[in-house]
Amino acid sequence: MTTVAEHSLRARGTRTRRILGRAVSAVIVLWACATLIFFVQILMPGDRATLLLNQVSGEVRTRTAAELAPINRQYGFDQPILVQYLRYLGQLLHGDLGTSYQLARPTTEIILGQLWPTVSLMLAALLIAWVLALAVTLATAGRGRFRSATGSGIETIAAALPQYWLGILLLLVFSLALKWFPAEGDLGPRGLVLPALTLAIPIAGFLAQLMRDEFTRALSQPFVVTARTRGLRERQVRAGHVLRHSVLPAVSLSGWAVGALLSGAVIVETVYARPGIGQVLVQAAITRDIPLVSGIVLVIAATYIIANLLVDLAYVRIDPRITTS
Amino acid sequence: MTAAANTLPARTIRIPAPTVLAAVVVVLFVIAAIFPSLLAPYDAFHVDLGETLRPPSFAHPFGTDQSGRDVLSRVVSGAGASLLIGLGATAVAAALAVVLGVAAGLGGRLLGGGVNRLIETLFAFPVLVLALLLITVFGPGVSTLVIAVGVANAPGYARIVRGQVLSVRRSEYVEAAHATGHSPARVLLRHILPNALRPLVVAGSLGIGQAIVWASGLAFLGLGVAPPSAEWGALLNDGRTYVTVAWWVEVLPGAVIVLVALALTALGRAMQRRFGKESG
Amino acid sequence: MRRRIAAASSLAVLLASGLTACAAPRQTESGTTVHGGRVVGGKVVDGVLEYGHEQEPSCLIGGWVQQVYLMRQFLDSLVTVTADGAVKPWLATSWSQSPDGRSWTFHLKPGVRFTDGTKLDAAAVAYNFDSLLTGAGANSTAQAYLQEYYAGSRAIDATTFRLDLRKPYQPLLPVLAQGYFGIQSPAAMRRGASANCVHPVGSGAWIVRQWNRGQNVVFTRNDDYNSAPSTASHQGPAYQRSMVWKFLKDPTLRYGSLETGASDVIYDVPTVDWAAAKRSYAVQRYITPGRAVSLTLNATRAPFSDERLRRAFAYSLDRKAGVDSAFHGAYPYNGDGALSKSTPGYDPRFAGTYSYQPRLAARLLDQAGWTARDGEGYRVRDGSRLTAQVVYPAGSIVTPETVTLLQDLQSQAKEIGWDVQLVPATQSAYFAGEYSTRTSYDAMTGYWTSPTAGVMYITWRQDLANRPNSANIAFYNSRRLEGMIAVGNAAADPAQRQVAYSSAQRYISDHALAIGLYAQTTSLASAPDTKGVWIEQSQGEPVLSDAYFTGGQ
Repeated sequence: MTTVAEHSLRARGTRTRRILGRAVSAVIVLWACATLIFFVQILMPGDRATLLLNQVSGEVRTRTAAELAPINRQYGFDQPILVQYLRYLGQLLHGDLGTSYQLARPTTEIILGQLWPTVSLMLAALLIAWVLALAVTLATAGRGRFRSATGSGIETIAAALPQYWLGILLLLVFSLALKWFPAEGDLGPRGLVLPALTLAIPIAGFLAQLMRDEFTRALSQPFVVTARTRGLRERQVRAGHVLRHSVLPAVSLSGWAVGALLSGAVIVETVYARPGIGQVLVQAAITRDIPLVSGIVLVIAATYIIANLLVDLAYVRIDPRITTS
Repeated sequence: MTAAANTLPARTIRIPAPTVLAAVVVVLFVIAAIFPSLLAPYDAFHVDLGETLRPPSFAHPFGTDQSGRDVLSRVVSGAGASLLIGLGATAVAAALAVVLGVAAGLGGRLLGGGVNRLIETLFAFPVLVLALLLITVFGPGVSTLVIAVGVANAPGYARIVRGQVLSVRRSEYVEAAHATGHSPARVLLRHILPNALRPLVVAGSLGIGQAIVWASGLAFLGLGVAPPSAEWGALLNDGRTYVTVAWWVEVLPGAVIVLVALALTALGRAMQRRFGKESG
Repeated sequence: MRRRIAAASSLAVLLASGLTACAAPRQTESGTTVHGGRVVGGKVVDGVLEYGHEQEPSCLIGGWVQQVYLMRQFLDSLVTVTADGAVKPWLATSWSQSPDGRSWTFHLKPGVRFTDGTKLDAAAVAYNFDSLLTGAGANSTAQAYLQEYYAGSRAIDATTFRLDLRKPYQPLLPVLAQGYFGIQSPAAMRRGASANCVHPVGSGAWIVRQWNRGQNVVFTRNDDYNSAPSTASHQGPAYQRSMVWKFLKDPTLRYGSLETGASDVIYDVPTVDWAAAKRSYAVQRYITPGRAVSLTLNATRAPFSDERLRRAFAYSLDRKAGVDSAFHGAYPYNGDGALSKSTPGYDPRFAGTYSYQPRLAARLLDQAGWTARDGEGYRVRDGSRLTAQVVYPAGSIVTPETVTLLQDLQSQAKEIGWDVQLVPATQSAYFAGEYSTRTSYDAMTGYWTSPTAGVMYITWRQDLANRPNSANIAFYNSRRLEGMIAVGNAAADPAQRQVAYSSAQRYISDHALAIGLYAQTTSLASAPDTKGVWIEQSQGEPVLSDAYFTGGQ
């Protein structure tokens, strides 16, 4: 009894250490992201104060030193880079991502305001992607050459569809021609359908490709044979045993999926003029609103890092043998 | 890429039909990129105001655009720019990946660890998002596009190189080379790099199609190549205005992008299956 | 088994159709009617009006015409103008000009309040002029018009306001009709630029409730509105209780928004859809006065420092064919480079000076020594190519159709041997001033909306060290030209004014300094059940306070 308890205690100890290690590593990567973003900003050519003044007033003018001085002071452009860097990190620690040049509002506030449309789009797309991928895999994987080839073909094509093009096709057919769905960035559930489908289809293609490989491999595993000999029906074997086996690797792709969803959301929100972080990001990139762009990019990077950390931790829980690769 | 289909010895069991098809598409794409006049029925920049927005016909298989230009010819003439961007971005990514991957694989605890963290850091930025950051800072344009897509794709390739470097380093023949007293630089150049690069080439050929899609996506957002260039993203961005009355100016160039991306991917896969096994 | 998979794969479709069923675009509940309004005297009122616009500015007030479109919704001006150029009362019920022409006295409508509750009196108006022209609330366009003339403002009593000028400025009244001179609440202005950008306060029919960036501005009705212009179709508060001003930059989505019923009115109907829109919707078009969209040639560097080459360039282009094709007949060709044909004081005699004459163009180029052609068909002289860099502000300032037009012109110019290089200036590069120097372009596209031919004083006044003029994008400094326009601005006699403006127009045309393309145009399309939308006549903003819906239960 005691030995078992000791053993599990020790195991818990190493596990805690491993979890801590992962967390520390995530914090370091986050800091590196912030640093990278800061130094990329510094490389920006041209006078930032002039750009800022002209952008905000919407006119083209050469600015005088008297006009530039207060801006330089306010944003600290006249400080040495190291001071600016420390100031930037200090602000980040206080949850301050800077103030948008264009919108004259804190980046944090802008992001929070646009969070839900983007998150709801991503969640809906993720759900649809999984449903589509599962459906195609179950329907076609390991079911004869013709079916498998068809399924695999569909997945490959789906994965290769650029979202900007797919979005316009869906818009053209289902909104402009059939008028089933609104054309513009409607935030209601009806307005979510086409954007979520556009975002989901290529991702579903990737997921399904992965699942099919695992599925086919799992079908020839001993446990499947055992299950069959136990008299389970084909349906039970596929849905119950094989599927569970083939889904796990796809789950481990969640981190990747978050990145793909975020990138895709940028395009999809633009295609459908749907409000959200992606659209704000594109608009900010066009107007060269550096604090807003870098703030959003940092948040996206942090989201990715945290998503991966969670996946890692989940794995540590499920399988204590896994170590850092 | 085209070599994949051609260099296979005649006695090989047959090449699957999709691969042949993919090879044909890629060959056509490369011809379009290098010798557009061989495939383009008309001058891609010739404006004919009497022939605007004509639907597809025998004379104009892809129809004409808002300036009466032949859409097929424009797609063909845009192939060069798209291929260059795709190749350029992949080359940037590969070059960065070799540096990072080798440093991560061979560097000691400190350097290797640091570079590993850097790779992880770059991984945290989705391709499009990192590209948008760089475009914001350096302004839009072809070179920014190439660098942005290249940098954003680099960490994926760097991981491949690192993995290869690690496995090659531990392999017997490298240990043997060490034992016989060859200098580390020589071992690196002669033994480690060539072995590590092979999967990179395969991954890169898979990545060219993706890079083209990303770059045209940025052009689509209005952050890419300017008109009257027929770069594919710019074509799509242009065509969007007319899509309600002339679907062909948008749908057909987009279909070509999909086709080329598919073909490049399929060929890359075929290469992976063929060469992937040897290198583990 | 098969059934289950079929069910799974169609889940998304089910999800979609389920959602379709539960939210129709215009929900009809008991007690309310379409657009969430109610029927009063055959009109549906107290509802929500959805308006689909195009460009989103970075501030709700400012010196760009796109800001004026918004400002017109929540600000009132002293006067307004009609389609034939007549000046009509608005906040000012009457006005008079002093005998020396330098002082203008305005009698204000009593009892008008800003929507923050403060009084709109003569002191508030005086504060506005001081602030717009010299103070913290400076408006670059207001300054471009009046800075040279402005001497000061005085509140004589609560409802009498006097504007003093340094020298007579006859186009004053139509100029003041523009939204740039809309009267804002001084209390609100004192909060500073950033607050005033997001929540500006006026006395207008609508109140800015919330600006959702990248999406829309939500306006609510000013229930106490008592200062509609004399040209409005009804006095008192707006018919609808709320108005949503949506930013739909993408033309396809904007038109689609009208087609799917998500918008009741849209702005800038995509020209490719204009013919179809005319059949299905009530369309309105307003040809904006001022300087039309033109190619202004940089007179300070080769090739266009040479007048012969400027003329040759103009003769090389079949602009009318280009405009008709690129804009599908929806926008009018405007041959004159100095003024739009709808500008009060416009002289139509110079519109045809530079018709498409390729042979004449070639002869002029030959005479200038550009005789040889290189392998690609471009003209060369002394080893250099006949090149013209044409810069256009891309993105939200220049529409996709304009880019098409420029490409068409580029192709025409190539026939004659010009190597026209199109340079899209991104909005940020443009605002960062990258294209404001004499070495940054050969030709620039642009326009200036204005209700007077006097706008030439802005676009052609000399750009001097002690008196810079960044609107003179030809960098062409002529005292003579400036003098003619100044005489026109000062002349009390309309006939004399017309002569002066005409001579300036002739001068610009004779020297081929700017090549007209098309008139900047406001186009609106309203759903069949949406009535009463009209267009303001000094700059072309949609006026939505008179809008109501027909139909009902």
